[in-house]
Amino acid sequence: MKTLKLTLLLVLFVGIAQGQEKFITKQGHISFFSHSPVEDIEADNNQVLSIVDISNGEIAVSLLIQSFIFEKSLMQEHFNENYMESHKYPKAIFRGKIQELGDLTEDNKTVNIEGELTIRGISKPIETTAEIKKMDDGIALKGSFLVEVKDYKIKIPSIVANNIAKTIKVSFELIHQPYN
Amino acid sequence: MKNKIILVLVAVLIVLGGYIALRMYNKPHVNVAESDPDLVLFSQTLLEDFESDEISANTKYLEQIIQVTGKIQKLGTANGNGTITLNNGDSMGGIICHLSEKENKKMVSLREGQEIMVKGICTGYLMDVILINCVLVN
Repeated sequence: MKTLKLTLLLVLFVGIAQGQEKFITKQGHISFFSHSPVEDIEADNNQVLSIVDISNGEIAVSLLIQSFIFEKSLMQEHFNENYMESHKYPKAIFRGKIQELGDLTEDNKTVNIEGELTIRGISKPIETTAEIKKMDDGIALKGSFLVEVKDYKIKIPSIVANNIAKTIKVSFELIHQPYN
Repeated sequence: MKNKIILVLVAVLIVLGGYIALRMYNKPHVNVAESDPDLVLFSQTLLEDFESDEISANTKYLEQIIQVTGKIQKLGTANGNGTITLNNGDSMGGIICHLSEKENKKMVSLREGQEIMVKGICTGYLMDVILINCVLVN
């Protein structure tokens, strides 16, 4: 377990933490949105860790499930305890690559990102587009993608099945600073 | 007459039940400022616990109100709210405390290198230990 963790850390961070092409944020923003005829549910996480390497397009994003804040504390409680089991699976991790990144300018550029999203210990391939641009001293990455609740074996009791969408929209805004 | 009493009783029960359900549905978030901490410790102990064994640290600290004492390494902002990074030693990680909105105005009185006491809810460990909804203690 320890070795696995170390390897993961190495792959995630050390491997892409050398040189000037690396950018990091520890306070990225990721939110999700569930729309159903009964109600709309939204939650925000402002403590997202993301590291991007613009020399090869590699990107690693991780977040803590318990950092998601809901308007209603009861929803937050159910989300953590019943649906996400955040004590057992405290993190969600994305590892992937920005395809054909090329040169970056201060104008938004649409890129494809392919990778693997791990939630509740289950990894699924994922593909999305994002807007990327260079800023004063950083790299901004912004976009959204859809996640199927059933892909991650999240059990939703039939009594609230109509309150929660089968497909959840996840939005991200990651403003990276140079990594040093 | 008897039927009427039963009807009134049922109506009262429904209203009461509805009221309780509504209260539960609108249950407020934990108020960190007014809650006693579950654990009181030094920032370095908290960090070392996560660095040495993240799984057992998760069991111990996740979702708990933690009061930490530590030295300010860095002050910053995230999405309009203040952040304080505590780090006493020269470890790579630290404790990142995300202040609650009400605490922001206290940021101006803080200096890097100063020792402070912060209370917040632990959500886990990425490169640093994360505390959210933080308030400054005294």
